Amino acid sequence: MKRIITMAFILFAISTQAQMKAEDVKTFTLKNGMKFLVIEDNSIPNANMYLFYKVGSRNEYQGITGLSHFFEHMMFSGAKKYGPKLFDQTMEFNGGANNAYTTENVTVYTNWFPSSATEVIFDLEGDRISSLSIDPKMVESERGVVLSERSTGLENSPWQLLFQTTQGLAFLEHPYHWPVIGYEDDMKNWKQADLERYFKTYYAPNNCVTVVSGNVKFDEVKKLAEKYIEPIPAQPAPPKVNIVEPPQTGERRVMMQKDVATPYLGINWHVPEAKHEDYYALTILSDILTSGRSSRLYSSLVDKKQLATQVFTNFGESFDPTLFIIAAVTAKNINENDLEKAIYEELEKIKKDGITENELQKIKNQKLMEFYGQVETINGKSNNIGTYEVFFGDYKKMFDAPAAYNKVTAEDVKKVAVKYFTKKNRTVGVLKSNTEE
Amino acid sequence: MKRIHQLIAFIILLTGINIQLNAQSYKLPPYEKFKLKNGLTVYLMEQHEVPIISVSVILPAGAIYDGEKAGLASLTATALKHGTKNFTKTKLDEELDFHGASINTFASKESAALSARMAAKDKGKILNLLKEIILEPSFDASEFEKEKKRLLVSLEQQKESPRAVIASYFDKFIYGDHVYGNIVQGKISTVSPLTVDDVKKFYAENYLPEGSAISVAGDFKSAEMKTLITSLFSDWKKGTKPQVNLASKPIPVPAKQQVLLINKDDAKETTFYIGAPGISRNNPDYVSIDVVNTLFGGRFTSMLNDELRVNTGLTYGANSRFTALKNGGTFVISTFTAGKTTEPAIDKAIEVLNKLHSTGINDTSLASAKNYVKGQFPPRYETAGQLAGLMTQMFWYNFDESYINNFEKNVDGLTLDKAKQIIAKYFPKDKLQFVMVGKSADIKKIAEKYGPVTEVQIKEEVKKAF
Repeated sequence: MKRIITMAFILFAISTQAQMKAEDVKTFTLKNGMKFLVIEDNSIPNANMYLFYKVGSRNEYQGITGLSHFFEHMMFSGAKKYGPKLFDQTMEFNGGANNAYTTENVTVYTNWFPSSATEVIFDLEGDRISSLSIDPKMVESERGVVLSERSTGLENSPWQLLFQTTQGLAFLEHPYHWPVIGYEDDMKNWKQADLERYFKTYYAPNNCVTVVSGNVKFDEVKKLAEKYIEPIPAQPAPPKVNIVEPPQTGERRVMMQKDVATPYLGINWHVPEAKHEDYYALTILSDILTSGRSSRLYSSLVDKKQLATQVFTNFGESFDPTLFIIAAVTAKNINENDLEKAIYEELEKIKKDGITENELQKIKNQKLMEFYGQVETINGKSNNIGTYEVFFGDYKKMFDAPAAYNKVTAEDVKKVAVKYFTKKNRTVGVLKSNTEE
Repeated sequence: MKRIHQLIAFIILLTGINIQLNAQSYKLPPYEKFKLKNGLTVYLMEQHEVPIISVSVILPAGAIYDGEKAGLASLTATALKHGTKNFTKTKLDEELDFHGASINTFASKESAALSARMAAKDKGKILNLLKEIILEPSFDASEFEKEKKRLLVSLEQQKESPRAVIASYFDKFIYGDHVYGNIVQGKISTVSPLTVDDVKKFYAENYLPEGSAISVAGDFKSAEMKTLITSLFSDWKKGTKPQVNLASKPIPVPAKQQVLLINKDDAKETTFYIGAPGISRNNPDYVSIDVVNTLFGGRFTSMLNDELRVNTGLTYGANSRFTALKNGGTFVISTFTAGKTTEPAIDKAIEVLNKLHSTGINDTSLASAKNYVKGQFPPRYETAGQLAGLMTQMFWYNFDESYINNFEKNVDGLTLDKAKQIIAKYFPKDKLQFVMVGKSADIKKIAEKYGPVTEVQIKEEVKKAF
C-alpha cells in the first residue's frame, strides 16, 4: 500500500510541476552493473534512449588510434538477431532514428523514437551489446566511411587541423595527444583482433550508463531492461588510464600551412577535469570572455579594435585534465601576432583587476537561461542528465548547477585566471597561407 | 560522429511537418491569430513548460529584392542590430546579454527574419528592444563599415570550404537570372561598394507590416500578450506602394544535361550535387513527395546512403532533398567522395536514381518511410522556439493547423501506386544538372562524361549566369 501511495504522489508532483526537478529522475541498476536513469515526460508521444559508454580515444594507444570512434561505427554493422543493416532498418521501420558520437572520453549512442517502439529499441540494443558480430567485409567498407569522415572534416574547416595539431603538442604523453578520429595510417591498419578485444573490454554493461526520457513509465522501462539487458554478463572493469601529463614548463608554439584568407589562431592552456573545484569558475570565465557581443574578447577584439572577425572559447567536460582554448580568426591586413598580444592584454586585465559584479551577474543569468534550454526537450534532458552522471559522478549535480554557479564569486574567477593563464602553461597554434615569412 | 544528421527532406520547413504513430494523434496546441490595423499578422501560443518566451518574425525582405546589389538584404537584416533610437549598439548588446536573452536577425532567399528568446519575467524589456530593432533601427554608419569588413573576410573564407559554397553555385546554375538564383550572402564585388544609405533605402522599401507576421510562443497569458504586442507594433507604418513579387517570373527549365566544375587546387575530395528543378511549397503532393524522398535520400537507410556509404564506403554520407520556395524549388542529390573515387560515386548516385524509377520501391519500403516520417515528427514541435517558427512558416506559405493535424492521415493515404506516380512526376530522369567542387586537373575528364563542362575557379567571383 505504501508504494502505491508514493507513486501516486510522484505522478501528482509531475503533473502540477511542469518544470523538471532532481526528484523527477528515477534510477535503478541492473545486476550486471548497467545503471539506468529514467525521466517520465509525456509532453510529446516520443521517447529517447541515450547510452553513455565510458570509452573514448583516451583508452587507445599509438597503433590503434581512432579505434573507439571506428567501433562506434561498427556497433551498427549487425549482431546475432538483427544481422547486417537490420539495426537501422528495424529502427527506422518502427519510426525511430539514431546517431552516435565519440569524444576523447566517451562514446554515446542516441535513439529517438515514438514511445510505442520502446520495446523494439531495447531488443535492438540488447542484441548488439550481447552479441555484436564483427564481419570483416563490413569492417572494410566502414573503414572507407571513416576515412571519408576524416577527410571531409579537414577539407571543409581549417579548425580541424589547427585544433588537432595544437592538442597534440599540448599533450605529449597523455592519450589526449592524438585526434579522436585517429591517425590516417592507424585507420588503415586496425585489426579484427583489436576490434574484438575492444568490444569485450569496453562494451560491457557495467561500463555504461543509460538514460531514457519521454513518454514512458518507469516500471515499464525497468521491466524491459531486466528482460533485454540484464542477462548480458558483466566484465572485469576496463584497465585504468594511468598516464598523467607532466606539467608544462614553457610555452609551445606550432605553425601550419593551409590556403586561407587570413590566419587562424588557437591558444590552449592546461586546465583540470570536470570534477575539479575550479570547473565552475573556469566555465564562467569562458563565458565572460566570449559569450555574447558584450563579452570581453568580442567587444574588444572584434568590435572595438577590429583585430579579429570572430573569437570563441572551448572548455568542456573531461575525465582527465584538459585544455581551455581561445580561438580567433585574424581580420584582413592584421598581423596575427597583434591579435595574439591583444588577447593576452585582455587576460592580464582580468588577472589584475578581476571582473565586475555586473559581469558575474550577467553570466549567472545566462546560465539559468541555458539550464531552461537543457530541460526544454526530452533530448536535452537525456543528454545533460547523462553527461552529469558520467562526468560529475552524479546526475543530481545538474540540478545543483545553477546554485553552484551562483556560489562563484568575482574573486574566484580572477583566481583561476591567474592560476591557469600563464605563459609557460600555454600552447599556441597558428594556421596561415604563408608559413615561410 | 557516426553520421551526418540527415538533412530534412524539405529544408524550408526546418520545423518539420509530420505526425506520430501513437493512438492519440498529435494536434497543434491552440493558438490565437489576429491582424493589427497596419496589416501585421500576430500569432500567440501559450506554452508553460519552462519560464521562457520565444518570438519569430518574418518579413518580405529577402535576397530576391537585392537587384544588382547581392548581399544587401542580408546586410540590412544584420544591421538592424547596430543600434536603435534609444539604444546604441553597445547598450543593446549589453542589455540582451545581461538578461541571457537573444535576438537574431537574418535574411534568406525570400524573406528576412528575426528570432528572439527571453526569460518570461523579462518580456517587457526584451520585447521593447525587439520592437525598436524592427521599427526604429538607427543604421549607424561606422558600425555598418565594420560589419562590411567582417563580411568581406567571411566571403573570402567561404571559399576554403566546398560545402559552404556549393549551394550558391548550384542555385545560380539552375535558376539562371531568376531572382531565386540570387546569392544571399552576396559577393565581394557587390558587397564592397554597399553603403549605409543602400541599407536605409532597402529597409524603407521592404520592412513593412502588411506582408509580415510576428509569432510569440511560451510562458505568458494570451490576453496580456495581445495588449503588449498591439501597443508595441501598432505604430508601424504601412508602405506607400505595394511590393512587387519579383519571384513570380517563370523559372527557366534546363534544356540539356550539363556540368559546372568549380576548380579548387588544393581539394582532396570532390563535393557534388546532382540536381533538377523541384516543386513549390504549395504543391498539393508535398507530403507524398516528402515520404518518397525519405526513402530515396532522406534518412540513414535511404537508397542513396545505403549504396554510397553502407555498401561501398565511398562517402561518409549521401542524401537528397527538395528545397521548396513560394514559386518553385530545386531537387538535389548531395554527397562527397575522395578525388580518386569521383567517377564511381557519381555513377552510383545516377544508378540509384535510375533504380528509383525502375524497381526501387515496394510496400515494405513505403510502409517504413511512412512510419519514419510520422515517428520523427513530434520532437520538431517540442519547444516554444520551434512552435513560434512554425507559426511564421504557416503565415509565409499560407497554410494552417489542418496541414499538421491532417498530416498523419495524408501520410497514411499514400498508396504504392500514388508513390510510383510521384516518382515519375517529381524525381528527375534526365537533363540532370551537375555541380562539382574539386581539383579540375584530376576530375575534368570524368566531369566531361556527364555533359558539356563549364569550368570556373573557386577563387573567382560567382558569375551572373553560367
